[in-house]
Amino acid sequence: MSEALLVQEAGAAPAAAPASGARQFWRRLRAQRAATVAAAVVLLLFLAALAAPLLAALAGQDPDTYHPGLVDSAAGGVPVGSFGGISADHWFGVEPQTGRDLFARVVYGARVSLGVAVVATVLQVTIGVTVGLAAALGSRLLDQVLSRITDINVALPLMVIALGLLAIVPSSFPRPVLIALVIGGINWAGTSKIVRAQALALKSLDFVSAARLSGRGRWSIARRELLPSLAAPVITYAALLFPVNITVEAALSFLGVGIKPPTPSWGQMLTEADTWYQSAPTYLLLPAGLLFVTVLALTVLGEGVRTALDPRAASRLRIGTGREERQERTKERAS
Amino acid sequence: MSQPSVIPRRVATTAAVILVLVAGLAGCAGPRSDDGGGSGGGSGASGKPRKGGTLTVLNSNPQEDFDPARLYTSGGGNVPSLVFRTLTTRNREDGAAGAQVVPDLATSLGTPSKNATVWTYTLKDGLKYEDGTAITSADIKYGIERSFAAELSGGAPYLRDWLIGGADYQGPYKDKKGLDSIEVPDDRTIVFHLNKPEGEFPFLATQTQTTPVPRAKDTGTTYEEHPVSSGPYKVVSNENDGERLVLERNPHWSAKTDEERKAYPDRIDVRSGLDSAVINQRLSASQGADAAAVTTDTNLGPAELAKVSSDKKLAARVGTGHFGYTNYIAFNPKVKPFDNPKVRQAISYAVDRSSVINAAGGSSLAEPATTYLPNQKSFGHTPYDHFPAGETGNAAKAKELLKEAGYAKGLTVTLTHSNDKDFETSPEIATALQAALKKAGITVELKGLEGNDYSDTIHSAAKEPGFFLAHWGADWPSGGPFLAPIFDGRQIVKDGANFNTGFLDDPSVNKEIDEINKLTDLEAAAQRWGALDKKIGEKALTVPLFHPVYKRLFGQDVKNVVISDWTGVLDISQVAVK
Repeated sequence: MSEALLVQEAGAAPAAAPASGARQFWRRLRAQRAATVAAAVVLLLFLAALAAPLLAALAGQDPDTYHPGLVDSAAGGVPVGSFGGISADHWFGVEPQTGRDLFARVVYGARVSLGVAVVATVLQVTIGVTVGLAAALGSRLLDQVLSRITDINVALPLMVIALGLLAIVPSSFPRPVLIALVIGGINWAGTSKIVRAQALALKSLDFVSAARLSGRGRWSIARRELLPSLAAPVITYAALLFPVNITVEAALSFLGVGIKPPTPSWGQMLTEADTWYQSAPTYLLLPAGLLFVTVLALTVLGEGVRTALDPRAASRLRIGTGREERQERTKERAS
Repeated sequence: MSQPSVIPRRVATTAAVILVLVAGLAGCAGPRSDDGGGSGGGSGASGKPRKGGTLTVLNSNPQEDFDPARLYTSGGGNVPSLVFRTLTTRNREDGAAGAQVVPDLATSLGTPSKNATVWTYTLKDGLKYEDGTAITSADIKYGIERSFAAELSGGAPYLRDWLIGGADYQGPYKDKKGLDSIEVPDDRTIVFHLNKPEGEFPFLATQTQTTPVPRAKDTGTTYEEHPVSSGPYKVVSNENDGERLVLERNPHWSAKTDEERKAYPDRIDVRSGLDSAVINQRLSASQGADAAAVTTDTNLGPAELAKVSSDKKLAARVGTGHFGYTNYIAFNPKVKPFDNPKVRQAISYAVDRSSVINAAGGSSLAEPATTYLPNQKSFGHTPYDHFPAGETGNAAKAKELLKEAGYAKGLTVTLTHSNDKDFETSPEIATALQAALKKAGITVELKGLEGNDYSDTIHSAAKEPGFFLAHWGADWPSGGPFLAPIFDGRQIVKDGANFNTGFLDDPSVNKEIDEINKLTDLEAAAQRWGALDKKIGEKALTVPLFHPVYKRLFGQDVKNVVISDWTGVLDISQVAVK
């Protein structure tokens, strides 16, 4: 998904959600079947990641033990047995050449892929909101400076900068943390632009003017009046950023500057698997499929969140308003 | 932000080979595999080989700097050897016989005298260039002198090191007088005067620097665009510095003076700069011109081998070769705890060679190594296994040694490796070792370095890590170029590229190297190299891991596949496509 599209979509969110929004939000989210399924999938993935050691222990495996006996050494190390060596012991089969258990590697890999994305997203939102608010509320000079910095940030090619940064930082620095910092530190401009634009629009509204006239300070206004109203676009944008961050981690690991072996991550597994697509297709399909499902689920969920937070969209789609139920009842009666 | 695209990761393999070439340009005797390497028999399409047709060569590395002065080859190279004849050359036969050196332009391997410091060669009768003019010994002298010119650098350093006055000679463009240590008493005789005994001079004489270059036709740095051929083929076109090289028959070459090159095809079309996956895909499809295609630098990877193994027709089109090469763990005994021989021995015992071999592509692509010298006769291979680890490692023995060394509670060490995907010093190998050493209570932290950084670091006396992955290949199939750069104490380089990574400076080892260099009986020398290797092995400065095996596809019309132990790769001069 392109940056511009994200900004546009998030920007379409309303400036202010009603005060009693939380309940309404859940109702509207639940009313969207796709979003509910997506939320369940996401929840399942996060639980699997959190419980990785438990799940691996349940399968009686760990991600780092070599099983040389389970691969055909003379044939390049292709797993013995069909579907990549799937068996009662190895639920997802084994890795070519090493015989490491793929189920264990996939659940441990989920920790890295999802963990990095969570930290990076939180970082992006924090930086974005801070910079955006400061630009909107600060002096004209501060606004100018921050806006130019944001523009530069937008212009920075994420992958190229990330490749460079990851190449120069010493390998003693914990890799997943570093990747999260790099992704989070580079890709925050979208959030900050939205926050600044919304905050400027809100600033001229009556309730903010009233607060200002009552003598309240800038940061008090920001915290009490602006932030609650900014929640909707920010959450929406974050929900759409999250899957992007997962793919960035995967891409960086795929390019060989991401997670270092033997730590598994889905992107790193994808790298290892890409030559095996003909001789051991399951090995490639596993991380690719999981990435696909995760990113799809998160994107659908993000879209659902956006819809649920946007009363216009919600009413257009007639969700969570109770109206469609009434209409159905009317139809039933009519028939 | 867009979705990651599928970028072929084979790039790294190419990078590794380029790295090797760069090491050569830096003027060091780095591990080398000119057009590739490996040996052993290969099958070919049946039927008697006949003349004619076009042979296509699909390669990843271009034939850069196609000038005999600038090429760094083992045995004259594969493609270069079609155009450049040399004083001696490699025997074009399958397997171990192919690791022998045989006369080419000369009538013999050379006549040594004075303790192998003076070598005399006589040229065959009737040798001609592509324009029909006669090849003279003065042209060979001139060809060698050219390689000393700074603008034509790139070749191996041996001539500079061995010839009297070689160290200070600036080449024929600056110094018209030439090198006095190369004498040409008549048109057919050439005499070399060396500064020390070198029994293996006939091996050195296989390199393209001994190719005759007619002084009148020398165009300096542009000579590489159209070098004057002395071999069965001449250059028709050379695009983008060897990316596409087209060769056609040299009508003045005569098979009567050349027992080694068969030269069946009429035309050779070398296309380089291809991705290795593309090369293997095209060779397995074998469509159109690719049916008469071979590769001289691209191996089958593990995954490709898995695919080929399951297809009998395809498997019949794989040439298997052994190149004299060893992948090993290197220690820097100046770094703790590797100063303690017991720690080095413990690691030697703990190594799981079966998982390392799987990581390198499995038993078809790698053979376990317990000796530093390659497992070939020409190297004088003398089997030994001083610290027997068995197939999967002896963790108990390793723990015992660690306890003796004062590390009863285990030990944490850092293993430096490269990030290249070359299945040699790559993360896969490092990770396999990490898993094996864990069983012996050794926690291994991995430190991956990018290609050039890795090469610089391990070959810098100041920056060299204590524990790292390394590999070595020889410039010719003998123990000399395999052992001397690594274990000769006088070859320790403080500033610049150092290959004696164990900083071994043992007077008895140095003396034995000098003694063997005096031998002109190559078989006797080989035996002594083998014995020396066994002796050095006791010091546990390295842990030999595996010797690679090369598996390469060729097209379905390709006949007469000959793969020697010298190069490990099918010899283009023998291939027929009709």
